[in-house]
Amino acid sequence: MSAVPHLDHFERFGVTENEWRRVLAEATALGADDADLYFEHTTATAVALSDRIVNSAHTSVDVGVGVRVVVGDQVGYAYTEELTLPAMLEAARIAREIARSGQASPLQVVGLQARAGSDFYPVNRRWAEVDVSERIPLIRAWEEAAFAADPRIEKVQANLSDADKYVVIVRADGKVVADYRPMTRGGVSCVLEDGGRREAGGYGVAARNDLSWYTPERQERLVREAVKRASDALLSVPAPAGEMPVVMAAGSSGILLHEAIGHGMEADFNRKGISIFADRIDTRIAPNEVTIVDDGTLPGARGAVNVDDEGSETEKTVLVENGTLRTFLHDRISARHYGVNPTGSGRRESFRHPVLPRMRCTYMENGPHDPSEIIKSVDKGIYCESFQNGQVAIGAGDFAFYVRQGYLIENGKLTQPVKDVNLIGNGPEVLAAIEMVGNDLAIDEGGWTCGKDGQSVPVSQGMPTVKVGKLSVGGGAR
Amino acid sequence: MTPEALLDLATRVETKARELGASEAGVAVSTGTHTTLQRREGKVERATSATTRGLGVSLLVDGRYSSHNTSDLRPEALDRFLEQAVAATRFLEPDPYRGQAEGERCGRAASEDELDLYDPHLEAITAEERAQIAEEIETHVNGLGRDDVASASVYVADGSGTTARVMSNGFAEVTRGGWFARGGDITATEPGGKRPEAAAYYSARHASDLPDNAFIAHEIGKRLQSRLGSKSIESGAYPMLLANRATGRILGVLGGPLSGGALHQKRSCLLDKLGESIASNKLTLLDDPLRPRGLSSRPFDGDGMFARPRTIIDRGVLQQYYIGVYHGRKLGTDPTTGGRSNWVVPAGERSPEEIAKAFPKAIWVDGFMGGNSNPVTGDFSFGIRGMLLEHGEPVQSLSEMNVSGNLLGILGRLTEVANDPWTYSSLVTPTLVFDDVQFSGL
Repeated sequence: MSAVPHLDHFERFGVTENEWRRVLAEATALGADDADLYFEHTTATAVALSDRIVNSAHTSVDVGVGVRVVVGDQVGYAYTEELTLPAMLEAARIAREIARSGQASPLQVVGLQARAGSDFYPVNRRWAEVDVSERIPLIRAWEEAAFAADPRIEKVQANLSDADKYVVIVRADGKVVADYRPMTRGGVSCVLEDGGRREAGGYGVAARNDLSWYTPERQERLVREAVKRASDALLSVPAPAGEMPVVMAAGSSGILLHEAIGHGMEADFNRKGISIFADRIDTRIAPNEVTIVDDGTLPGARGAVNVDDEGSETEKTVLVENGTLRTFLHDRISARHYGVNPTGSGRRESFRHPVLPRMRCTYMENGPHDPSEIIKSVDKGIYCESFQNGQVAIGAGDFAFYVRQGYLIENGKLTQPVKDVNLIGNGPEVLAAIEMVGNDLAIDEGGWTCGKDGQSVPVSQGMPTVKVGKLSVGGGAR
Repeated sequence: MTPEALLDLATRVETKARELGASEAGVAVSTGTHTTLQRREGKVERATSATTRGLGVSLLVDGRYSSHNTSDLRPEALDRFLEQAVAATRFLEPDPYRGQAEGERCGRAASEDELDLYDPHLEAITAEERAQIAEEIETHVNGLGRDDVASASVYVADGSGTTARVMSNGFAEVTRGGWFARGGDITATEPGGKRPEAAAYYSARHASDLPDNAFIAHEIGKRLQSRLGSKSIESGAYPMLLANRATGRILGVLGGPLSGGALHQKRSCLLDKLGESIASNKLTLLDDPLRPRGLSSRPFDGDGMFARPRTIIDRGVLQQYYIGVYHGRKLGTDPTTGGRSNWVVPAGERSPEEIAKAFPKAIWVDGFMGGNSNPVTGDFSFGIRGMLLEHGEPVQSLSEMNVSGNLLGILGRLTEVANDPWTYSSLVTPTLVFDDVQFSGL
């Protein structure tokens, strides 16, 4: 057992304190500015239903350790799934090779001390304590409710997935932090047929939470929204093409922030001078009513973290304050580069990946306007309600997001649903073109996953209703 | 782990699963290595390296199906993992369509030597050699002579993997493959604050099939040049030249609707279209799993069935869906194969440059920006990057524009296939030329 308190997580790795001290010493033997070990153990379960049968389950176990050695901005990284001392020492020797190519200073590992993290996702029961037989009634109920909701439904699929992730981070500066991270995700999708036309619709919810999070209200919404999306799609017409005003609905429209500014504020891109925001700190980039944050502290949110993946405290970071660009998202490397404190944004997909500055939960704070007033102000445009994916070119600032559910706005009213459509714009130009911000901020519960440099991490996003003066709509209407 | 040790472990796990009560088990045990090196501003920015391993098992227990993965191969952990996997499967409902393929359908269609997916050089490559390649590419990038570069990174990577697969129907095979990748990205500063970026990456099974380092640097510079001063233009219908390396986003729309799962779930715009014309007669699409050195080549498919080349689309007519064993039984049809391997579009006669000359105006698309498609309807909408051409001459770099349409519509307007197949991907296609494509911009 470890002499360091609060580290019962270590038991599941079968690694003794003497062993991880030796691995850290090996990693730093050639000198370094920073180094850490990231132990991870994840168990995950997914059950799925299709064709009225609960007919598949998947479980997984992933365990390993990543060793990172940092010299200035240079990173050496190695990992192993084999938690034996020889395998871990070998990983440490590979990772420290970076020290030979840089100017590494000697690094003295100071006395290791366990620190307690925050508790933004308390649970009553961990997922490992939940039997598969307890998960099945949920997806069965979702399927039955969906078939009952609309006689035109041909097919329903439902799934529930969850994970328990345990991490322990051992840092060369002496900090040792452990975290337990639950995750769950539920989804329903259905196919409707009407008069020869066929469309699909789906809805999902996700959180760092336990089985009790699936309240009757949440389960009812899961089914209702999935059916509504498919039935609206049956009535959809091709979206118009070209530049026009766009109203972003409260909730998952936060994808606009994620793509238009969030990635560009990740400090690694700025350190390298490849972000369009690189030289714009403390300059005005949006109207006064625009305040945008990236927040790791929202209780139970998919993007919440008690500590980040290099052991830094998490926080609510203000990216844009009343229209003025304020703070990049920092990991320890970029924080040292800029001479500032890390913002708790150092994240990684798993022990197989080195840390990068990443978003957590990105949203815009409330503004002054009533949402109905915002829609009323548009003569001809698009209202965007749900989204599938997005992308950004960090340097050019061009970004895109794919609208799964949208409506025409005609003379201040929502009229017909439009077919799926890609919207494209330029980050700084779109932020400057924000004309109205609503007072109805909603954090979306969708299971968003952000990809960067081949690494996927869970994130959240939110938005009040917002009007953008113009965006380019990729409609097919001729 | 040696190939023999992998096969031995897979065999033991298959036996153990049946002892625990599974009627069938399929086991795959893999081990691999990968190393990446990234340089920027004259020094190594990131070096990562690992030897990795994992085990996957699919089970049939009392007619119930489940699948499981673990990287924890400690013997006691593996035993507990299998016990829990079998126990969890019993809670599910029986699925009469699950079960492995008949043994006689399964096996290896080509030897490891014939497929040639492993370059022995992987065993000899040293850290010094990777460092030297990265430095060479970097030197060539610096030698482009640009004074507008904000940042340039180069990247060198390689890896290999060995997998042993054992199934209760008697199947037992070991496969090995390797890969090499090289490339880089570059960002320039432009008046007005934009920082246009470009990248070029190449991958191949054998190091000798990669382009040389000077060419890679030259290509990075050429692509950056074509991104400068980009803007959007008037919405409208234009001919589109879809660059050989960028065809995946449009042809990829076919992938979902062709799959047995989508057909069975009625999530496919290609439902009931077998034998019908779904594209212009210029389009022939082959699936070739036996292509030597192919990035998605394989001697057998995901069900363990013999791999064989297939014609998916023959001069516009849909010939085959992707139907694995499970969905074949559900659909009441013989399986073909459950997933794609290498896609090949046979080359045409003329170069893209020659074709472009004939168009007073055309849009050259060589990259995409977001967007997606709807497999049920075939509708798609993608952001694009590219160039407005007039009589083949580049006149305006394009950004903030979308291309939209329907899969069947756009494939029907394929007018010509060029003669320049891209070989650094599992999608081996030449530049494709379409008429009357809807672009939206201003």
